[in-house]
Amino acid sequence: MPPDPTIVAFDTSAAQCAAALLSGGTIRVKKVEEMAKGQAERLIPLLEEVLAEAGLRWTDLDAIGVGIGPGNFTGIRISVSAARGLALALGKPAIGVSNFEALAEGCDGPVLASVPARGDFSYLQLLAYRAMTDPAVIEHLAIPDTMRRLGVTCIGHAAHEIANDIGAAQAAPCYTMIEAIARVAARKLASGQSLARPAPLYVRRPDAAPPRDPAPVILP
Amino acid sequence: MTETLTLLGLESSCDDTAAAVVRHVPGGAAEILSSIVVGQTDLHADYGGVVPEIAARAHTEKLDHCIEAALQAADIGLSDLDAIAVTAGPGLIGGVLAGVMCAKGLAAGTGLPLIGVNHLAGHALTPRLTDNLAFPYLMLLVSGGHCQFLIAEGPDCFRRLGGTIDDAPGEAFDKTAKLLGLPQPGGPAVEAEAQGGDPGRFSFPRPLLDRAGCDMSFSGLKTALLRERDRLMTEGRGLHARDRADLCAGFEAAVADVLSQKSVRALEAYLATEPDNPAFAVAGGVAANLAIRSALETVSTEAGASFVAPPLALCTDNAAMIAWAGIERYRLDLFDDMSLSARPRWPLDRTSPALLGSGKKGAKA
Repeated sequence: MPPDPTIVAFDTSAAQCAAALLSGGTIRVKKVEEMAKGQAERLIPLLEEVLAEAGLRWTDLDAIGVGIGPGNFTGIRISVSAARGLALALGKPAIGVSNFEALAEGCDGPVLASVPARGDFSYLQLLAYRAMTDPAVIEHLAIPDTMRRLGVTCIGHAAHEIANDIGAAQAAPCYTMIEAIARVAARKLASGQSLARPAPLYVRRPDAAPPRDPAPVILP
Repeated sequence: MTETLTLLGLESSCDDTAAAVVRHVPGGAAEILSSIVVGQTDLHADYGGVVPEIAARAHTEKLDHCIEAALQAADIGLSDLDAIAVTAGPGLIGGVLAGVMCAKGLAAGTGLPLIGVNHLAGHALTPRLTDNLAFPYLMLLVSGGHCQFLIAEGPDCFRRLGGTIDDAPGEAFDKTAKLLGLPQPGGPAVEAEAQGGDPGRFSFPRPLLDRAGCDMSFSGLKTALLRERDRLMTEGRGLHARDRADLCAGFEAAVADVLSQKSVRALEAYLATEPDNPAFAVAGGVAANLAIRSALETVSTEAGASFVAPPLALCTDNAAMIAWAGIERYRLDLFDDMSLSARPRWPLDRTSPALLGSGKKGAKA
């Protein structure tokens, strides 16, 4: 694997269609288009524009980096499905990168990353050097004790409130989300670790309830 | 029409994740090189029906594995394909989107053409995949999500004669199973139970038979069944096995009656167009029910139309039918680009008035 792989990264977990091309350790092309819907129609043409601008073809890529959320469920599936199709077609790995990992990228020390969920909710994850907590979804500032650590840096949409609440530092992310996704993907590729296929990170369980009417008792 | 075509088909519009490879040599019979279908019955078992979000999650993580299995079973690689065909609707939008995006990724990465297929066209063109049936033929599409009579005039040309104005029969089978404590999917469970029952004990409604045309209704049938069940349970403090078998038999007889009597009318309308080789074909999961199938075969034979019922595995959701519909579209030069949309609603017949759904979102199917 080349030390500085060529990677196209994309993300549709929020109300946008974002793509970036990382090559030789630098982001050569980056495109972010705001849109509430239409990501499924726009994504592949946008990626083709990114490749064309860099003068590359699909087969020049070493890997695909894809944002796996958390975020809009449909949006995450759009990107993950496309990434899996591309990986199969190209015979190159697709590497899933969470929004938490993207926020923490480039930051020294443990990070408490927050990603907006709907309403007054946030998705949270604590990322430390070697360990991380399971991601959680919390209402307002109901931060789990496992994530209330001294010395963490709060990054993300609720960084300010969380930092004030737990008495920790806050910082801005080192990179834009799409750039970070590309960089994390490159780092994972270079690490040589075995790479599972990208899977959406929903954090929330599907909203489904068992039926209310019990089945009848069947008599002989 | 001279080119041998090999297409990969993808299907993910309900609760089956499927991939298949179909090859067609012009003038010969189509050959299904592989057909992989991975169901999700277990995932939805606790909920008494398909939960769209659960289905979408499963499709997203299963489809590429299905594709690999289909290519392996067909013993070919992506470079041996001529195009990628994918269900682009109608159906549960989360699953359809997963399929469409995976297909786009495959098509972009390989440079192969992309073909978006209407799921209903997949079912409606299946008799040409299995029996090389010539146009125009009459089609009854009867499944868990759909019920309509169509005259298939061409690969991209369907005329709807009528259909359900509420539930689909497959849905009614599922609900019946649920009400009677039988497992899902309800079709096979109710059919098995009905075999030991007396279809004459309960007289369930046959809605809309008094009205002209081919429209049908099945929602009242479910309510009538619920009422009978509750009456029996109040009287007997539970449901006796005998009652359940009779309820299933009565329900199945009512569905078979409505479908066959409406088929008589659909056949009349179809035969009035004076087709050269009249044929009546069925598809969809409910066409797997033997009582219904034989009732339909009887009316077809009586009307002088040959009866075509594809094998069970090609009646229920599968990707071979999508690959085949893709081959038909390929031969008509009907391709899509990377802006292909996934559509929750997509009527096959674009001119007949909507039976189901309206307003901003348009007709359902």
